[in-house]
Amino acid sequence: MNAKIKLENHDAQEIKYTTCYMCACRCGIKVTLEDNKVRFIQGNRNHPTNQGVLCAKGSAGIMKQYSTAKLTQPLMRKPGTERGEGIYEAISWEQALDVLTDRLEEIRATDPSKLGFFTGRDQMQALTGLWAQQFGTPNWSAHGGFCSVNMAAAGLYSIGFSFWEFGAPDWDYAKYFLMWGVAEDHSSNPIKIGLEKLKRKGGKFVTVNPVRTGYSAIADEWLPIKPGMDGLLAMSMVHVLLKHEQFDYEFLVRYTNASWLVVQTPGQKGDGLFLRDENDQPLIWDIDKEAFRNGIDGDIAPALFGEFVAPDGRRVKTVMSMMVERYLDERYAPENVALECGLPAETIERIALEMAHVAFKETVELPIEWTDVWGRKHDKVVGRPVAMYAMRGIAAHSNGFHSCRAIHMIQMLLGALDAPGNFRARAPYPKPIPPHQLPENNIDIINAPNTPLSRPPLGFPTRPEDLVIDEFGNPLRIDKAYSWEVPIASHGLMHMVITNAINHDPYALDTLILFMANMAWNSTMNTANVQDMLRAKDPEEPGQYKIPFLVVIDAFHSEMTNFADLILPDTTYLERHDCISLLDRPISEPDAAADAIRYPLVKTDRDVRPWQEVMVELAGRLKFPAFTKPDGTPKFKDYPDFIVNYERSPGVGFLAGWRGKDGTKSLKGEPNPNQWQKYIENQSFFAHHWPDNQKYMRFANKDYLDVAADVGFVGKAEPIIMQFYSEPLQKFRLAGQGLYDGPQPNNQVDRERLVKYFDPLPMWYEPLEQQRVDKDEYPFFALTQRPMFMYHSWDSQNVWLRQIMAQNYMYMNARKAAEMGIKDFDWIWVESHNGKIRCQVKTMEGTQENTIWTWNAIGKQKGAWGLKENASEATKGFLLNHLISELLPEKAGERRVTNSDPVTGQAAWFDLRVKLWKAEPGETGSWPQFDALKALPGDERYERPEVLRYDARSHEKN
Amino acid sequence: MHPAFSVIFFTVASGAGFGLFSLLFIADTFKLGGGFSQDQLVAGGLIALALVAFGLLSSTFHLANPKNAWRAFSRFRTSWLSREGVFAVVFMPLALIYLASIMFDAPLWLRETSGFLTAVLAWITVFSTGMIYACLKTIRQWNTPLVPANYLALGYASGSLLLLLGAVIAGLDTTPYIAMAALIMAIAAVLKAIYYFWIHSPGLSSTINTATGITRAKVKLLDTGHTHGTFLTQEFGFQIARQKAGLLKVVVFALGFALPGLMLVWVFTQQGGQWAAIIAAVAGLAGAAVERWLFFAEARHVVNLYHGAQRC
Amino acid sequence: MRLGLVIDLDVCVGCHACAIACKEWNASGTIGPLSDYQPYGAEPSGVWFNRIRHYEMDEYPNNKTVNFPMSCMHCEDADCVTVCPTGASYKRAEDGIVLIDQDKCMGCNYCSWACPYGARELDRSSGTMKKCTLCVDRIYDQELPVEERQPSCVLTCPAHARMFGDFDDPDSAVSRTVRERGGYPLMPELNYNPTNTYLPPRRKPVIPVETQPKGGLKESIKQFANKLVRR
Repeated sequence: MNAKIKLENHDAQEIKYTTCYMCACRCGIKVTLEDNKVRFIQGNRNHPTNQGVLCAKGSAGIMKQYSTAKLTQPLMRKPGTERGEGIYEAISWEQALDVLTDRLEEIRATDPSKLGFFTGRDQMQALTGLWAQQFGTPNWSAHGGFCSVNMAAAGLYSIGFSFWEFGAPDWDYAKYFLMWGVAEDHSSNPIKIGLEKLKRKGGKFVTVNPVRTGYSAIADEWLPIKPGMDGLLAMSMVHVLLKHEQFDYEFLVRYTNASWLVVQTPGQKGDGLFLRDENDQPLIWDIDKEAFRNGIDGDIAPALFGEFVAPDGRRVKTVMSMMVERYLDERYAPENVALECGLPAETIERIALEMAHVAFKETVELPIEWTDVWGRKHDKVVGRPVAMYAMRGIAAHSNGFHSCRAIHMIQMLLGALDAPGNFRARAPYPKPIPPHQLPENNIDIINAPNTPLSRPPLGFPTRPEDLVIDEFGNPLRIDKAYSWEVPIASHGLMHMVITNAINHDPYALDTLILFMANMAWNSTMNTANVQDMLRAKDPEEPGQYKIPFLVVIDAFHSEMTNFADLILPDTTYLERHDCISLLDRPISEPDAAADAIRYPLVKTDRDVRPWQEVMVELAGRLKFPAFTKPDGTPKFKDYPDFIVNYERSPGVGFLAGWRGKDGTKSLKGEPNPNQWQKYIENQSFFAHHWPDNQKYMRFANKDYLDVAADVGFVGKAEPIIMQFYSEPLQKFRLAGQGLYDGPQPNNQVDRERLVKYFDPLPMWYEPLEQQRVDKDEYPFFALTQRPMFMYHSWDSQNVWLRQIMAQNYMYMNARKAAEMGIKDFDWIWVESHNGKIRCQVKTMEGTQENTIWTWNAIGKQKGAWGLKENASEATKGFLLNHLISELLPEKAGERRVTNSDPVTGQAAWFDLRVKLWKAEPGETGSWPQFDALKALPGDERYERPEVLRYDARSHEKN
Repeated sequence: MHPAFSVIFFTVASGAGFGLFSLLFIADTFKLGGGFSQDQLVAGGLIALALVAFGLLSSTFHLANPKNAWRAFSRFRTSWLSREGVFAVVFMPLALIYLASIMFDAPLWLRETSGFLTAVLAWITVFSTGMIYACLKTIRQWNTPLVPANYLALGYASGSLLLLLGAVIAGLDTTPYIAMAALIMAIAAVLKAIYYFWIHSPGLSSTINTATGITRAKVKLLDTGHTHGTFLTQEFGFQIARQKAGLLKVVVFALGFALPGLMLVWVFTQQGGQWAAIIAAVAGLAGAAVERWLFFAEARHVVNLYHGAQRC
Repeated sequence: MRLGLVIDLDVCVGCHACAIACKEWNASGTIGPLSDYQPYGAEPSGVWFNRIRHYEMDEYPNNKTVNFPMSCMHCEDADCVTVCPTGASYKRAEDGIVLIDQDKCMGCNYCSWACPYGARELDRSSGTMKKCTLCVDRIYDQELPVEERQPSCVLTCPAHARMFGDFDDPDSAVSRTVRERGGYPLMPELNYNPTNTYLPPRRKPVIPVETQPKGGLKESIKQFANKLVRR
């Protein structure tokens, strides 16, 4: 009766291991190939990131490989056609690179800042940053500025590591997990693995999110907060913890600056800075020795509370005393924030106390001996098992930096950092606070022709002197990062580049290179207007566009490529060499430092080249010093050769595994010519597992810090003291107050912003856009998230994934909708101060009442992404982006200011307020609509049949 | 359930065919109204067979892979669909034997036996057709003995109207045919009415709560996990508005029972003659077709619970 | 043996990983290819064996979102098999897996009518009904590493919300988990006796809190006594 089950013909198959690139999670994948076709992509069991599991995107990688949106050859906008018309001519790589080299040579020899190079879902920022630095332009960044720089910056200015990719919850021991504003994340699979672990062991999972989907669906408790109020909630929790004296006294004394003394001389220079000794070391009051002593030393007994008088007569106060004064204020009492947050006061208090209970009554102790950086031996590791994670929901507000710092403040108070069961660092973090890397700001070096920058374009300013501005205070970067407007813009402001370049503010660009970033569609604010900007011509230079030359590198036919003057087609991730480096955004886990590679598994069938390969070639053509031999010939044969042989410092290169001539050294060692082969043999990743005594408390763990210093993770093995109170912020504030010995802003707007927002302690303020729009007119908060099966994906609308979602809806609270007479699938208009859109509604219970939201980037421009013009993505899908302005609403007498966090320049996507109403009968379909993209030369190779029957084993069938 | 035209045509046509053939046998046996001639009987039988055959043929149109249709006879032991096929196929030769025995004046026992067996098989086949639907626990509106009863009653009702038309054309005494049609139609109408009343009140049925196992709170669909239709929504997602269904039920009764009933009176009172009989037959078949469409349209497969229906 | 799946609703985050992994494996597996209709067009659709639906229980703000993966339940009393006229649908005696012989199916859809769970989908191109095979072409493949002889949905599930095993064996992990977590079948009233079992969301952990504050408010900052704690 039973039919014979046909099993796989393994003889015809080949198994290779590489690294996924469907998002920023970068899981290890095991790829089964048959006849150069992909049969199966599964998770690699041995990989530290995903441990064998794989998400929907990862498995759908097959359909990315066989996407009909793939670019096939280099293309040049056809002479005589206008930008944005999308009419192209095929050219050879040689021609394309000649054109580009000539142009770049000219820029580099005259004014290197005229080149802007910005990257999107880039996983090789160490290389792109090095390339920009070698070119000599400060105008480089990846997309962190519009993604989650608030998380990175808040962490790196507070605890030495951060949410985002520099830390992870310790799922093995956590008993309480509080998740803030996370829909999906870069560590998507580790979080899923972890949540299950936590729940299996009976831990409690609480989510703070206006929307209950995804991870929040499985939370034990949902706190449907109003968007942008997270910081207020966190500070109210701090209020409760202080009121109940629930904080880790020893942790605060030993590992934070809570006991450091702050000068209290309001209105005078030096106010709010740490009291320091003659060696510039911060001081504490030692209650044992009854003396001011160095707050970084060991063997001190600091006063955590108190006001003192410094030897020079100035009044000083401990950080902790300042915190108690501020956060015990009734302003932060749960009952006083409840209405603003949209949460019951009882809940706020209870959650804070639950965390305290778990932290202090359910402590985890591991019998692991370790030595602290002051030489004291400990016979155990104490873990406060309260873990947290936070992401876009915190980051994408203009108050996100402070909100995130407020969350770190809770962690510090609970002593719940880098220990069993809480939030732990991932190598190469923790780093000094902030990391010792300053952005290049020497105007002479920046302006010097044919000269690399002396430092990377991005870094972590600690004082006004570190800003990247000229003598008049004007920004030196096109995105105005590190200017008075956004002083700590550590990831740049990619979302401002096009607007600023069009306005020639601060200056004009000649060439803009965009890699893998859809700045003409879902990755930009204000999409419709940005498309017009890209088409805008310069009235002063007839016939020239305001951005004269636009180069787009992508693997797919996106809305952005449609505006390129030159399109350089990239490969897919299965067709190239790549490295996910510890110099970059790590894939390390708390227990292991790790990096990974990709190598070509599938033969390329198009005239495309991996961009990193092209960058290395361009670097040779342009004779960048780091890429050129003394005789002027290129130093590196190709990208793999570069990766193996480039050393950032002696023994430290892009890949940490199998270093040394014979491949026996880890983390540091001479280049190994067989390094790629060793990675391939080891399933394309390397993991250095930390011994037990180096796993925890690494901010003060001697054995760990010694290794970290040796391999270049940190400069020196010295304590990393966590910063409740951020002195760098106070220095900027003093500059705003006119009390700083150094650069000070001369524009009133900048002065006000510095005074208001550069509070050295975490603060909360109403998001900037909301301060300027009429809340009665625009009663709803509006935001977006990405669905798990498309998060951070390069080409999400592939044949399988788009079946799950080919149209997005605007979701709103069911009761609210009913009150407004709105039903499921009604078409509605949504309007903000910046524009309006028409979209279709779905109602749900799991949305905070004052909030509406949608899935981002489902809406596509007609003809883009290899889809037909009638695809639902184009006819019914929509973008919220049209409603969001990259500039704050105008204010009389003030220059236009970026719609970003005033501290970090993080794009404030989620500050949006809107109104909505039902569309008239007959008003259906999404609006606005745009002209369809034209097919590109080479597109004729794709069939796009009405029925697709993918089968890797087609030769066996029929 | 999605009302597939081929299946509607099939069940209406074959039901009428089986009904007509069975009643033809009765008319022949009891020489009702004077009895049909041999040629008339054969012609009537062939028409019945043609209805059955076209019905069966059309039912294969809804097969996605008709080349395997022959395999449908293999699961006689468990599958009503298989049984229906087998009975229908056995019916055919028996029916032909019966018609042949009329045509060639075969001995009466052969004629009567084959006729009787054919009539029984016709009954069983239509019963099996009904059971195809009635055995499905997934569709509450079908999972009832009323379904095979309805199928039989409507099959015979359609058959009886066709037979009456034959009797009118053949110039027989129509009284017994009118009486037969009236009786069967009355039964069919009552059964249909019972059925409509029955499916109107849900009683115990599966709900979104039993479907998901979440029984302690209200459950609502948030997202089906696919933007556009799937096989499941195409096949099972069909929904008819309550108002429209009510209207169509009126049509079923008006067209399927009332109008033919009125025509019976006309025939009986010699007012309409042939035209009245034709109208009765056509209206009866049309009413049966509407009834069949509604039979599918009102059926709510439990899979709809997973697509958001609160109960089925 | 009675092989089947356990789906843990407590931890399923609704990421659709299992659905895509299933699609991916089976596209080129024993029952593949699986058709995709209008793959680049207006209304993309296709043949899937595993679909993830999302529900909300209760009302705001007490609502909870429940993600709900569904595939063939491999029922003990599988009406889809009973009703199949061609014998294409069958339930394997040795392990209880319900399969469809693609060489026998005539595409009448009748089995899909008998299935309450929406597990069966017609592939219009092959004209045959298709469904979850429990990756029968993986789980018995001796050439695969032992730990990979599992359905691809189970292998891939990032939240480990899926388990595969023998429900006949009372000591198997699936049997034990179902007992411990109160696993339940869907629509038991239909008496199909489905093998796949769903684990309900766990009860919310209760954490004791002391709500009496120890310290004072801002004015009473002096109550915070410094302790002698050495670094």
